[in-house]
Amino acid sequence: MPDWKKEITEQLAGLKLQPAREAEITEEVAQHLDDRYRELLAGGATEIEARRIALEEISEERLLAKGLERVERQMPQEPVVLGASEEQSILASLWLDVRFGLRMLFKNPSLTVLAAATLALGIGLNTAMFSMVNAFLLRPLPVKHPEQIYTLSAAGKGGGNGFSYQDLEDIRKQTTGLFSDMAGAQILSATGLSIAGKSERMWTDFVTGSFFQIPGIRPFLGRFILPSEGSVAGADAVLVVAYPFWKAHLGSDPDIVGKKALVNGRPVTIVGVAPKGFRPLSTLLDTQGYLPLGMAVVDNQTKNDFLNDRQDKRLILIARLKPGITQDKIRSVLDVVAKRLAAEYPKADDWNLLKAFPLPPTGPTSDPSDGLGIVGALFLTLAAVVLILACVNVASILLARASVRRGEIAIRAALGAKRGRLIGQLLMESVLLALLGGVGGLVFGFGANRVLSSLPLHMDVPLILDFHFDWRVFGYALGMTLLSGVIAGIVPAWRGTRGNLSAILHDSGRSTTGGGHGLRKGLVVAQVGGSLMLLIVAGLFVRSLLNVQRSDLGFDSQHVLNIALNPGLAGYSETQSYEFVENLLERIRALPGIQSATLAATVPMGGHNMGADIAVEGLVAAPKQEGSAAGYNIVSAGYLQTIGMRLLHGRGIDDGDTQNSLRVAVINQAMSERFWPGKDAMGRRFSLEGEPTHPMQVVGVVRNSRTEDLSSPEGPYFYMPFAQKRVLPVTLQARTYGDPEAMSQEIMGLVRSLAPAMPLASAQTMTDALNAPNGLWFFKLGAGLAAAMGILGLILAIIGVYGVVAYTTAQRTHEIGMRLALGATPGEILRLVLRQGMVIIAVGSVVGIVMAFGVARLLAHLLVGVSTGDPATYAGVTLVLIVVALAACYLPARRATRVDPMEALRYE
Amino acid sequence: MASQALDRELKKGSAELLILSLVEARPRHGYEISKLIEQRSDGAVRFHVASLYPLLYRLEKRGWVEGRWVEKAGQRRRRYYRLTAEGKEVLASQRKGWQVFAAAINRIAGVEHA
Repeated sequence: MPDWKKEITEQLAGLKLQPAREAEITEEVAQHLDDRYRELLAGGATEIEARRIALEEISEERLLAKGLERVERQMPQEPVVLGASEEQSILASLWLDVRFGLRMLFKNPSLTVLAAATLALGIGLNTAMFSMVNAFLLRPLPVKHPEQIYTLSAAGKGGGNGFSYQDLEDIRKQTTGLFSDMAGAQILSATGLSIAGKSERMWTDFVTGSFFQIPGIRPFLGRFILPSEGSVAGADAVLVVAYPFWKAHLGSDPDIVGKKALVNGRPVTIVGVAPKGFRPLSTLLDTQGYLPLGMAVVDNQTKNDFLNDRQDKRLILIARLKPGITQDKIRSVLDVVAKRLAAEYPKADDWNLLKAFPLPPTGPTSDPSDGLGIVGALFLTLAAVVLILACVNVASILLARASVRRGEIAIRAALGAKRGRLIGQLLMESVLLALLGGVGGLVFGFGANRVLSSLPLHMDVPLILDFHFDWRVFGYALGMTLLSGVIAGIVPAWRGTRGNLSAILHDSGRSTTGGGHGLRKGLVVAQVGGSLMLLIVAGLFVRSLLNVQRSDLGFDSQHVLNIALNPGLAGYSETQSYEFVENLLERIRALPGIQSATLAATVPMGGHNMGADIAVEGLVAAPKQEGSAAGYNIVSAGYLQTIGMRLLHGRGIDDGDTQNSLRVAVINQAMSERFWPGKDAMGRRFSLEGEPTHPMQVVGVVRNSRTEDLSSPEGPYFYMPFAQKRVLPVTLQARTYGDPEAMSQEIMGLVRSLAPAMPLASAQTMTDALNAPNGLWFFKLGAGLAAAMGILGLILAIIGVYGVVAYTTAQRTHEIGMRLALGATPGEILRLVLRQGMVIIAVGSVVGIVMAFGVARLLAHLLVGVSTGDPATYAGVTLVLIVVALAACYLPARRATRVDPMEALRYE
Repeated sequence: MASQALDRELKKGSAELLILSLVEARPRHGYEISKLIEQRSDGAVRFHVASLYPLLYRLEKRGWVEGRWVEKAGQRRRRYYRLTAEGKEVLASQRKGWQVFAAAINRIAGVEHA
């Protein structure tokens, strides 16, 4: 008798069995081979033949080892190697599922396309929405170890996130234990760059020498500003330009380093080009050039001693935190610094708190916890609801198909396929479907994204809306895709594989049990609810926008043209600049078609606001923090006529207000009520804090008007004559008789004829200016996005309602035919079918209203003039949904009334 | 339908049924089971050692059959498999399923009435 042990052990070797178990198997299999060998010999085989045949039966394709492997080794799995030819491996069966799933999808292409397109809409919307959230909140600053970059802000008198150069030096020296580097930057000043006879505007950051040390990034060409530069006013005339500016405005000149240029008429040398994507302060701001802080004197409004002026808080601070420093440590050190500085410089730095927090990717702010995160989360949630609605529709389609495939699945189950395996297979189908949808969604999201990125911002400041797709966006899209595949597939897969074989196989196909229908109805109820919630939220946003649009601005924005002027950019001195501006104003006033024109330091909703603490005569005892602050503007004669503001008492600023006349101011109602409540404010006097020798007399009171934004309450505000407090840059505002847009060409032509080399911001109508981010922009964006999601949700819900009613009605054809044959009228049949739809819609509406109440509370602070539970919005939107949904039920209902009883009954 | 997958499941499903049926009446050892399958099917169905034992062990692991070493005088010990209570239930349901399936197949693939 041959010894089989060796061959058997060889086969078992790879299995790493317990020795006892291995011996047992070996013994049993060896016995079997003995028996087989004897049998073969008895059948007439030679010993050699018998041995060969018996051995072949165990070693053939290593079947024994493979079979045993699955049974004996369930715990210690070795990792599956890609490409391994294990017929039974997980990968192989996964591949089978993929192939099978693809074949099922291709078998019914129109259904597949419909389902994939539905998911594509949902996934695309989520991707686009996430790419915005990503750009605003998640994408870190493009610097080394962005989590170490901190910014500072102070609270108390002289606080905020602006610091003087002396503050920076003091704080830096006293915090070397916390920060390895600290720098200051005066961000986004408009400057005029002239090179080779060409002038253009360049948005410039003036930075301290250590600024470029902090990001830890190397220049693209040449060098950065050095730590030794920037601390002396007017010295170190070197310029670093940003990469996009170098490409677009300097012709990508490879020899740019060392070239001479003029900034605001002052000679500088270009020493370097920053690398592509260099945005160390904010992912949103598009700085075009960098100059050493000392060069800030190129702005003729900056005094030569500004570096020593503690009141001149033009710098935002950034610092790199040393590794391993705790928040407690930061707090305790900064507390000491704040106290020390407050004691030493009570006039400039009377701080009660100095804090450092990670610089948000959107840029410096004085508040580390602004509400942007909540808004982002809210919109992502709404988008996710749309995706769930889409998933429900697809689940509905798959459920219907699963009932068609019940027979096939039952047979496979009877043949020994485990339920988990069948569910896995069905899930694979829905995940493949979702992947198809995901590809479509990326295309859709990309398109939506292009539209969003190119939304006009209507503002002067160079903001970048860079919503490009990075790995975070792709990861999110993939996650959403897989999730939607599972959500859409799990219920149909679960139900589809839960069947009693004989019941299914004996069933001729006409289902009378209502279980599946109940589930589908439940899904559609959820859908109606979700879509109503989206619609209500959209309704609230739209009402908000309408309220803001219709709200009383306090001035007349029609027919007004704004032209921003800063002759300093062309190298004009201060005196020359004022001459130019005043000369231009005279000429524009003389143009036919111009009603009136004026100069103003700021324009409403322009993003640039001025405010000051004031001292009111006779109000000495007023507590300091009790808000002695007021906003102000500096305007020339004819301002009220030009902007269309109504005077309540006294007069406006006029030509009689000159440098040498009595100092005067026009105040608004809110200011009159705040400082002289119940009294006549006319003739009263007040002064700017720090300028007690120049009191102003109130000569007029105007109606309140919108200045900073469209939603916050209107506070005290006053207007000073331009002639008495001149300022640059300045905006020339003109009221036209006709279309202001048409006049802008003529006015720009006039400017160019006066000063050919003047880099100019383009003229903008006041109505356009109101669409800027401080005006209507966010309201329009919010309302637009919410409305888009609401409409998408409505469409999905309508398809769902129609689908379930049409399906159940078709299932009841037999019953309806019977009823008709027994004498039911078409009207009764119509009611029968509609009632079913109505129940779904009614329950869904209740669910939706409850959800909307919950969600609306989260967005309370985004709404203007409408409460989160606004009855009109809730009622109106619910009514719209009910009407549209009933219309969707009506089609199948009407079809049901036309059933031919004979046909329906014969069809059995 | 992936024919490979169907084939595999068919064979797996029917093989379980066959083995469970054979040990229903009395305990049998592996070689005996393989011989009986071959004989009763007139050689149409054959189980080699390489596929039989993994299957037996799996049934044992599921608790449908129970293997026990039995020593008889003058012979080497052998491992006999008997049907458990759970195995009986499984066998009954598999039998029924098979009958329904066979009937269904017959209805579909059987003689077509003109």
